[in-house]
Amino acid sequence: MRKKPWLYSAPALLLILIVVVFPIGYTAYISLTNMNLYHWADFRVIGLSNYARALFKFDSGFLGALFTTLLWTVVNMALQLFCGFWIALGLNAKGLRLRRLYKTLLMLPWAMPAYVSILLWRVGIFNTEFGLLNQWLTALGLPKYSILDNTVTAFLACLALNLWMALPFMIATIDGALQSVDASLYESASLDGAGFFQKVRFITVPGIRAIIAPAAVMTTFITFKQFDIVYLLTQQKGYMTGANLNTVITYAYQNAFVSNNYGLSSAVSMLLFVLIILFSLATNRSLREE
Amino acid sequence: MKKAISLLLSAALALGMLAGCGQTPSSAPQSGSAAAPGSETATEPVTIKIWHDGDEAIMQTIADTVNSRLSGDNITVTFEKKTGLSDQLKLYGSDAANGPDMYFYAHDSLGTFVAMDILAPLSEVAGADVLADALPMTVEAGQIGGEQYFLPVYFETLVFLYNKALWQGDIPTTTEDLYAYMQANTDTAAGTYAVVNQHSTAYNVSPFINGFGGYILNEEGHPGLNDPKTIEGVEYNKKFAALQADGDYNTVTTLFNEGKAAAIIGGPWLVSGIRDAGIDFGVASLSDMTLPNGNPLAPYAGVQGVGVLKTGAEAHPEAIGKVLAALASPEVGVALAKSSGCAPANSKAYEDPEVAADELIVAIQKTAETAQPMPNIPEMGVLWGPAESFLVAVNKSGEDVATAAETAQQAALQAIADMQ
Repeated sequence: MRKKPWLYSAPALLLILIVVVFPIGYTAYISLTNMNLYHWADFRVIGLSNYARALFKFDSGFLGALFTTLLWTVVNMALQLFCGFWIALGLNAKGLRLRRLYKTLLMLPWAMPAYVSILLWRVGIFNTEFGLLNQWLTALGLPKYSILDNTVTAFLACLALNLWMALPFMIATIDGALQSVDASLYESASLDGAGFFQKVRFITVPGIRAIIAPAAVMTTFITFKQFDIVYLLTQQKGYMTGANLNTVITYAYQNAFVSNNYGLSSAVSMLLFVLIILFSLATNRSLREE
Repeated sequence: MKKAISLLLSAALALGMLAGCGQTPSSAPQSGSAAAPGSETATEPVTIKIWHDGDEAIMQTIADTVNSRLSGDNITVTFEKKTGLSDQLKLYGSDAANGPDMYFYAHDSLGTFVAMDILAPLSEVAGADVLADALPMTVEAGQIGGEQYFLPVYFETLVFLYNKALWQGDIPTTTEDLYAYMQANTDTAAGTYAVVNQHSTAYNVSPFINGFGGYILNEEGHPGLNDPKTIEGVEYNKKFAALQADGDYNTVTTLFNEGKAAAIIGGPWLVSGIRDAGIDFGVASLSDMTLPNGNPLAPYAGVQGVGVLKTGAEAHPEAIGKVLAALASPEVGVALAKSSGCAPANSKAYEDPEVAADELIVAIQKTAETAQPMPNIPEMGVLWGPAESFLVAVNKSGEDVATAAETAQQAALQAIADMQ
């Protein structure tokens, strides 16, 4: 009798097996082989030597990238939660007109393909000749400045773009959560003489915390393994800028994925996979302790 | 009853998911099978499949010309566009049933395919006469280890394109005169430039690096980013870069197309955009401009042509030999030059009066005298990155040239070591 549940869920399990588990398993297998350009069809298992080489990729440059990634994740999360919360609160203000229009407009960055958004910002905002920022600088009589050529300003540029792209999700989630807070609580708080900030602090925040926690964890991961914004703004072939900005994923890509050495790249991928699993366990635990 | 149906449906769904995993019997003749290789006769119709990742109009021109030449032999050539051809060939390069017989692509990825052992040398299917009329530089581009794997059809290289309405006087014959012109006619604050170039892309700096005798990668697969002559070329390019805006493709082409730059160093691929922008442009060969050391500028050239896959060579050696002969004919070159403005690899094609009168094609042909084919060994694939980082560090981050060269050289050596 115990077999029946397995049989019912067999199609779904099989799908997960094919789509999720198999690629990971196959990557693990490739990481143990010498598959590269010179051993394309005749590759063989060579044991753990790729891992020994891959560990050398996690050098001082990698540590720098890890630090940048952590800073990037923390700053992004703080900004997204802060801005998302206040904008969502503003959208729920009593007597606000055209509420739906604002919500639709705020969703726009999310609806746009990331690649298009990033290229639009690169050319439309940051470009030295045609970008909006430099047009302003020129109009103010200031010299042109290439924002993406300096590591610190490039980091800020990536931050601004990521905020623009990720905020809609945060606003939508917090906005949804706000609807679930019992309105009578605010009424009784008002009767007790509570002000706006007291209501926010003692009713709104505790009320929505549990609902937005999963969204926050998900966004943390997406931010941690961010690749496209940093890569397309500062590192794309033919469009490389002077900034020396790397997250763990762009660093690993630059150092292990352009060589057509699939054995080595797979070993690096597996190590990154372990790193992200550890990061997820740590985040989950800290969330549970809360 | 309901339970039985749902169980049955679950099982069917699970089985259905695996349905695609079966093996399809191969329809193409395998080597050594009963349908012996090379046994086709002139009466049997043969279709040769060529994969490409290029411009559809160019491929159509080639297909039309080749097919009309081969109609008497009962051979049909079909061109199929495959985006990301390099990756497609990695997957299907040795698949006789689903892969192509030949491929049409740029020559610089040749080494990668040869290393993967999926290509047959041209000598297996065609005589040496298919290369008899080809420009020497284009023939050289198709060789790996002394063996010819690639038949050149047309080629591209960098030329000096200028806006006739904006350029004043003659085109300088030395790079120092060019620099003086740039200094006098560039106003970075106003956003108007004399000459723009993708100054931090290795391909576009190659005229300087090669002209100074430096190299990015030599034939032995050794990177030369810290070679004193390479450093000299990069250092010399730096002063030009300072007067050439940001230097990325979009910026420089837009500057030129909007009339904010009087000239651009670029390839024939820019021409359709320039024509669309309504700019009356002139062309000069980079070979006509000399560096302070007396050498002419020597850009890289990219050669477009065909390679033969082993599976194709085993299945249809005779037909492929005829296709190669047709592709090598001057008619293909003339047709391409007239319809798409491509510079033919076949030297005889330039005898056609209409081709000989085309300013752009003649400038490219002239540049072929000093141009060097891009390295075609697999190591080149991993060198564009370190080379670009080197140029960016010098031109955009203001790093010391020698230090940046050393860093880039180490990165290049590491990248090459990682390939093994």
